[in-house]
Amino acid sequence: MENPASDRDRLLIIPAFNEAERLPRVLAEVAGAVSGFEVVVVDDGSSDGTADRAAEGGARVLRHPFNLGYGAALQTGYKYARRRGASLLVQMDADGQHNPRDIPGLVRPIERGECDLVVGSRFGGAEVYGMSLAKRVGGMVFRAMARLYGVRITDPTSGFQAMNRSVVDLYTSDAFPSDFPDVDVLLFAHRYGLRIGERPVAMNAGTRPSSIHRRLTPIYYTYRMLLAIWAVSARKRRPSGPQEARTRE
Amino acid sequence: MNDAGRLADLERLIQSAPVPWQTQLLAVGASLALLAAVLWLVRRRALGVEFTAVWIAVAVGAMALSISTDLLGLVTRLLGAWTPRSTVFFFAQFFLIATCLHYAVRLTRLSLQVKNLSQEVALLSAELETLRAPSSRAE
Repeated sequence: MENPASDRDRLLIIPAFNEAERLPRVLAEVAGAVSGFEVVVVDDGSSDGTADRAAEGGARVLRHPFNLGYGAALQTGYKYARRRGASLLVQMDADGQHNPRDIPGLVRPIERGECDLVVGSRFGGAEVYGMSLAKRVGGMVFRAMARLYGVRITDPTSGFQAMNRSVVDLYTSDAFPSDFPDVDVLLFAHRYGLRIGERPVAMNAGTRPSSIHRRLTPIYYTYRMLLAIWAVSARKRRPSGPQEARTRE
Repeated sequence: MNDAGRLADLERLIQSAPVPWQTQLLAVGASLALLAAVLWLVRRRALGVEFTAVWIAVAVGAMALSISTDLLGLVTRLLGAWTPRSTVFFFAQFFLIATCLHYAVRLTRLSLQVKNLSQEVALLSAELETLRAPSSRAE
């Protein structure tokens, strides 16, 4: 799974909460699909042995002492990547809905220097992801809002993303949300001049939502996201961009 | 006399009505009890000194208004309220809302600090594991 020559430079972050059952399969799929990545599982305070399964699967494990939320788990991965001096980071969910075979496609625009951040879109892949009507409508609303602020992404709520160091630096700041980092963080990155792209990815249909997402109630999520989008646009853009943020550590 | 005049007279009558001594005694007692509770909590280290200023100010302010009913009457007239009780309830509610908002802000900051500390624990634990690993020691 690890290639000593480059795994320090490229990380695959998998935030997980009580995913002991599905994580081994995800890690096995990752091992079979990609090489040259250090696989890092961020265990967000699981009580079902997720961390042990991750370690058995050959992943580096970062353990939160208690549950902090999906966003905080991702950010722990970003902080780890920053300390490692990684130049490229891919994030995917632990529930098996993302296909690791799509990783090379996500990474390519970053390697070519075309984008800083690439979002894996569920709406352009070969397989159609089985989404509820509410989620589809919500996706449309957020897509429209993102477009309003200049971000042209068809799937702004996708958690399957690849990014370079500039994005990682920005996302390690305190402005990154602990709960649901979705459209608001894309707008945040856009405001800092980072280039956001999109690539179609296949999603495994019929996957039970990850534990890390399950408590997300649609009404609160919509309210929270609309407020966060407004806040991102209303805040003054601080002079400390990604470069400056990196020198602070 | 028209309705507006009668209403103004009624307002003046209510505002000039003396505060019953029982109410005054209860208010002074409650203020003293609050002051004593704050001091007792500080003594037991259940309340940090840095959090006491606002509660001491509330206790002293409430006591001043309880003793000097003229002062309470003046504040009531300035607010356009009819009864001193309305003034007291208005300030009490305003204070409670402001306090809740203040603690929500503090809680937000503390949550951020707890999150950052927990992430640091996770990262340092991983580093420690690496250092303790046999392959790392062999190097």
